[in-house]
Amino acid sequence: MTALEEIKDYLLKELKAEFSVNEQVNCFKVSKDNYWKAAKYLQEQKFQRMLTISAIDWIEKDLFSVYFIVHKFPENIYVKVETEIPRTEPKITSIHELWPTAGLKERETWEMFQITFEGNDDLRPLFLEEEPEIAPFRKEFDWREFYKASLTEK
Amino acid sequence: MVKKQVKGIVDVFRGGAAFLAEKPITYNFPPEFTVAEKAKGRHTLDMETCRHCGLCANVCPNHAIEMVKREEGTDDSKKTVRYPQIDFSKCCFCSLCVEICPTKSLKMTNASVMVAMDTKQFLLPPEELAKPPELQMPEPLKIKGAKSWARSRSLWVMNYFTGCCFIEAVPWVGSGFDMERFGMIVARNPRMADVLLVGGYVTEKTVKRIIRIYEQMPLPKFVIALGNCPMGGGTYWDSYNTIKRIDDYIPVDIWIAGCPPRPEAIGFAVVAAINHIQNGYAGKEEKVKLTKKLQLPPVLPEDNLDPKERILPFGPQHPGTGNFSLKLTTNGELVTKAEPQVGYLHRGFEKLMEYRTWYQNIMLVQRICVLDGGAYELAYSMAVEQLAGIEIPERAKYLRTIQAEFSRIQSHLLNLGLVGGATGFHTMQNITWGDREKILKLLDEMTGARIYHIYNPPGGVFRDIPDNFKDHTMKVITNFRKRLKEYDKVFIENPTFQARTLKLGVLPREVAIAHDITGPNIRASGVDFDVRRAIPYAAYEALDFEVPTFKEGDAYHRIVARRLEIEESFRIIEQALEKLPSGPIRAKFGSYKHKIPEGEAISFIESARGELVYHLVSNGGNSPYRAKVRGPMFDAIVVLLPKLLVGTYIADVPVIYWSLDNCPADHDR
Repeated sequence: MTALEEIKDYLLKELKAEFSVNEQVNCFKVSKDNYWKAAKYLQEQKFQRMLTISAIDWIEKDLFSVYFIVHKFPENIYVKVETEIPRTEPKITSIHELWPTAGLKERETWEMFQITFEGNDDLRPLFLEEEPEIAPFRKEFDWREFYKASLTEK
Repeated sequence: MVKKQVKGIVDVFRGGAAFLAEKPITYNFPPEFTVAEKAKGRHTLDMETCRHCGLCANVCPNHAIEMVKREEGTDDSKKTVRYPQIDFSKCCFCSLCVEICPTKSLKMTNASVMVAMDTKQFLLPPEELAKPPELQMPEPLKIKGAKSWARSRSLWVMNYFTGCCFIEAVPWVGSGFDMERFGMIVARNPRMADVLLVGGYVTEKTVKRIIRIYEQMPLPKFVIALGNCPMGGGTYWDSYNTIKRIDDYIPVDIWIAGCPPRPEAIGFAVVAAINHIQNGYAGKEEKVKLTKKLQLPPVLPEDNLDPKERILPFGPQHPGTGNFSLKLTTNGELVTKAEPQVGYLHRGFEKLMEYRTWYQNIMLVQRICVLDGGAYELAYSMAVEQLAGIEIPERAKYLRTIQAEFSRIQSHLLNLGLVGGATGFHTMQNITWGDREKILKLLDEMTGARIYHIYNPPGGVFRDIPDNFKDHTMKVITNFRKRLKEYDKVFIENPTFQARTLKLGVLPREVAIAHDITGPNIRASGVDFDVRRAIPYAAYEALDFEVPTFKEGDAYHRIVARRLEIEESFRIIEQALEKLPSGPIRAKFGSYKHKIPEGEAISFIESARGELVYHLVSNGGNSPYRAKVRGPMFDAIVVLLPKLLVGTYIADVPVIYWSLDNCPADHDR
């Protein structure tokens, strides 16, 4: 059994993930409760490189997709794990203790989407000096409207 | 005997002549100029062939083109038609308007010098656009007194390169353009400076620092603003985090249009400034209103600070950092703690992309990392092609490879120069930055632009290489190989340089992997990982190249890895030009409002700094629903750098920092 088959086997059977392939990337969609378990499992399987943690704002479905991408040497396997959380309660378990770079990526996602990563104590502004009133990357914040308003202010 | 002596003397002269023939480029000033098309400078409009369709105004991502009404015809049959009017204080010279023009009546020329004391002068109505551009030296004004004359000839400049324009300021301060011939030198302290050079877009965070520097400068003070962003937001006009007009905060004397303006344009601005100052001009009246919002937070010592320790802010206005800041806690000369402070360049690219169509975004994506723009547009187009299911022609794949490799070479040369500066080795800085101009010249020939090429739209490439391009390239490569050997003698094998960099900032293999380091940085730590091999894209599969790896993982070997990669990139370009297949260069993509079916795509490429990932999500519309850019620098700088700096000397901080080859624009996005 190859490394990828083993991972697929575990994630599909144990964590009931949905599987799809996107060119080089193996995508798994898990439930919110299994998100941390999937991360833990992948970390134990020596997926050492954590590429990104980010989110997508599906405002019409009233959901946030939170996902991360990891990579494994030397087999060169990319895995993306995605989960959905309600927009009304944007909270998810933090995976910052599993990879050294995950904490700061969660901090960036928190700043841009106001999604709370439970367990990560370092959620404070990273790029901005003050906490913004409205999360800049959320869909309800229309930058073009904001620009027009700033013109009329002067 | 005499013959031998003569031969000896002749050989010395021959050697000297050969060296001078290959010397770094320093441009003549004022530049020689004949109007030519196929470049990315000021537009010209042929009013007779213009069909008044307004496509150019619609495609312009910066809303720089407006259709204005003109009446035409004799009294009997008067009709109202519309012509484009271009505001060059907004135009970013991306050439999308020229590409879309159905009659090709709108063209671009190589006239790129636009300097004015009032931004209204950049608004060119169609009648002005119809005239061919001319290059006129600023008018010399009368000298009023010895004091003004002396002042105008010794301007001390405070550089604050806040954004992309940094890249064209490199040749401006370096040997490529050599600003010292205008009597200007770089002031290290605002209290000694006469001129403040603001380069590029200004974010909410940076503007406070600019005001602080401006306030510290003694009177009379002059401000030169580079690029379109300080005039009205430029390319990031709808970003939530950039300020739109810098003269709402500090007065600006001279504006330079361009994105980024070429170094010649900076030269013209400086000559104009000298003329005005010798005529008695003493700058505009100060109008800084320091509201609470614009005040800088004080750098207070932390409560639990050891009495022996001090807080040392390092950046963001520092020649050793770029627009990036480190808060160092030091004990004497030793760094005990380092905290990176990022976000000075945060424009919110990922959301800006949501407001532009799939096609228009090609203008935006390069600007994520100005130092290696070619890689960023390639990765974006690959992701869009994946989403839209387009197969691009073979020839386009090879041309993309050539452009990406040139982009990599110029980025590595820039980094060698920055490392030279950080180690106090300014000879190296001037040699590499001067040589880099040769590569930029080739890129200019190939794509029409030095920095932002806008060359890879989804579907292929915009233009084919000119006929004599192969010969030019081969000549440059042959000469460059000799130069690289020179680099080794002067720089790489230099014991002083080795003493500064060997065993410094050691990054062990396991730490490098765990911190998601890629590119030359991880290859210097013993990991043979290169996306060009792991997931071959463009034409890399058919080309033969080595990936230099080392085990040591220190600053020296990271630098040597880059030096060797330059040579491999030349090999790739040579092979690509040799194997270049004939055929079309662009597959059909659809209009600029082309819709792309629902789905998502992830593309990976090897940029000069490491693995670059684009994650694009489409909901079936004509612009991305969500775009995520994973650049190579975020982990290296925000997470790893503070760990590497603990226990080093303050003087080694810039060396370690530049040995990682940071691009602040990449991690801030």
